[in-house]
Amino acid sequence: MYPGAVDELQETVYDQWFITLFNIVYTSLPVLAMGIFDQDVSDQNSMDCPQLYRPGQLNLLFNKHKFFICVAHGIYTSLALFFIPYGAFYNVAGEDGQHIADYQSFAVTMATSLVIVVSVQIALDTSYWTVINHVFIWGSIATYFLILFTTHSNGIFGIFPNQFPFVGNARHSLTQKCIWLVILLTTVASFMPVVAYRFLKVDLFPTLSDQIRQWQKAQKKARPRHSRKPQTRRSSSRRSGYAFAHQEGYGELITSGKNMRANNPPPTSGLEKTPANSTSWIENLYKKTTDTVISFSQDKTVKL
Amino acid sequence: IDYTGTDPSSPCNKCLSPNETPCVCTINFTLEQSFEGNVFMYYGLSNFYQNHRRYVKSRDDSQLNGDPSALLNPSKECEPYRRNEDKPIAPCGAIANSMFNDTLELFLVGNESDPTPIILKKKGIAWWTDKNVKFRNPPGGDIPLEERFKGTTKPVNWVKPVYMLDSDQDNNGFINEDFIVWMRTAALPTFRKLYRLIERTNDLHPTLPAGRYYLNITYNYPVHSFDGRKRMILSTISWMGGKNPFLGIAYIAIGSISFLLGVVLLVINHKYRNSSNTADITI
Repeated sequence: MYPGAVDELQETVYDQWFITLFNIVYTSLPVLAMGIFDQDVSDQNSMDCPQLYRPGQLNLLFNKHKFFICVAHGIYTSLALFFIPYGAFYNVAGEDGQHIADYQSFAVTMATSLVIVVSVQIALDTSYWTVINHVFIWGSIATYFLILFTTHSNGIFGIFPNQFPFVGNARHSLTQKCIWLVILLTTVASFMPVVAYRFLKVDLFPTLSDQIRQWQKAQKKARPRHSRKPQTRRSSSRRSGYAFAHQEGYGELITSGKNMRANNPPPTSGLEKTPANSTSWIENLYKKTTDTVISFSQDKTVKL
Repeated sequence: IDYTGTDPSSPCNKCLSPNETPCVCTINFTLEQSFEGNVFMYYGLSNFYQNHRRYVKSRDDSQLNGDPSALLNPSKECEPYRRNEDKPIAPCGAIANSMFNDTLELFLVGNESDPTPIILKKKGIAWWTDKNVKFRNPPGGDIPLEERFKGTTKPVNWVKPVYMLDSDQDNNGFINEDFIVWMRTAALPTFRKLYRLIERTNDLHPTLPAGRYYLNITYNYPVHSFDGRKRMILSTISWMGGKNPFLGIAYIAIGSISFLLGVVLLVINHKYRNSSNTADITI
């Protein structure tokens, strides 16, 4: 690792057990939870706006460009993760003057920073939090610390002295305030560019899913304001609750025929393949979606 | 205080190729300010790669834990410092073999003619878990240490065998604190290791008053063959550990970048919000 910076630093930096468990235990579950449970817009809006699926079809979400950005991000993070502890450990002594710049403490610092950075990154990426997401992400961090203290404990060293040479390390290094400050600094330095980039992207070049998400948020804020109206007119809404056709707005809608489009087939059958090529099918879908959105939004305004 | 002695004018230059062993040299220095509280004396080495893979692997932790079978049959990782003259080496391995063996003594040159030696405490320098859990002498109870190490030989580059490192039985054998500190391999090629403690006498007098001192060095450890350097460092400790400007500078740098970023993003967000309503969707 980094032979240019530290000539002949040929030892693996991390504890063997950490390397083994990293991919299996510490990081797999949060990613899995995110893949299964994450939801960028609500399901109703996903149905309303099929344009959201267009980036997926056009391979915009995972192509070479995005891949190289991921790789660059990984390189930046690993540089930050190495050089910040390297600089901090360069000429340091511990709180009782004792030796803390040893190879094992360095490894523990880097490993802890890594697990925390990765978990924070996933937490930033998750836009739809369920209980399971919380459990997996914070649980992974808790598991890491649990295993760390176990492999560094006196008991397990007594049983297998050659397998667990890191005895006493977690207790000694993680009680140093200096080490925690290094970990905090590394974490902030790693995800600061990501946060800035995401924020700028959402503000200046929002994608369709970003826009719909913001629309959802605005809707959620708008709903509490509008919910006061039914409360003041409770008697009238209860009466018309079972036969909403009596409400003025609906009658006009139906008689005008705006929500019934005889010239276009209804949206569900549009999913059949037309004899024309796929682009025209997408265009048809595009047109239908426009109409569906307008009709649904009209429904929603009426319900409000 | 660098005392490698490569500079011909340095007092330790004569020790680079000594005529007599052991070679003793003396370096004078002055403390501008007095040191208060506990003072820590370190030896520092440069260009010494304690983090080289083969080097770090070259140890036997079971043997160092006092396991009798590992004592007489050290692990293969210790090669080529495993056996010598057909006897197993205790402690085996390259890390133990290269143990730092200079002796440093500090004297205060007072107004009187006699310089006063500063009391250097050699216990309490290693981690508690290292001394009491990881490193144990072979079991034996009342049997003297020399007997317990019977059948083994000392490492190749050592002068004295391991059971003669200190007359104090609590600091002899594998649990000798200098040995333990050395075995805790450093992460970077320039490192310092705690050598001695100078405890504070009382609150009225500073531990090391400002003035002239001299350092008496028994120069045993050869470093010039690999362009290494040796130093002696005296340091006091604050709540965060020793003097370390990197962390402070890094925090200030990252903090100011974050602050700037926050301001910039706030401005951009403000402008964006004014330009278009977020509820509009352009389909």
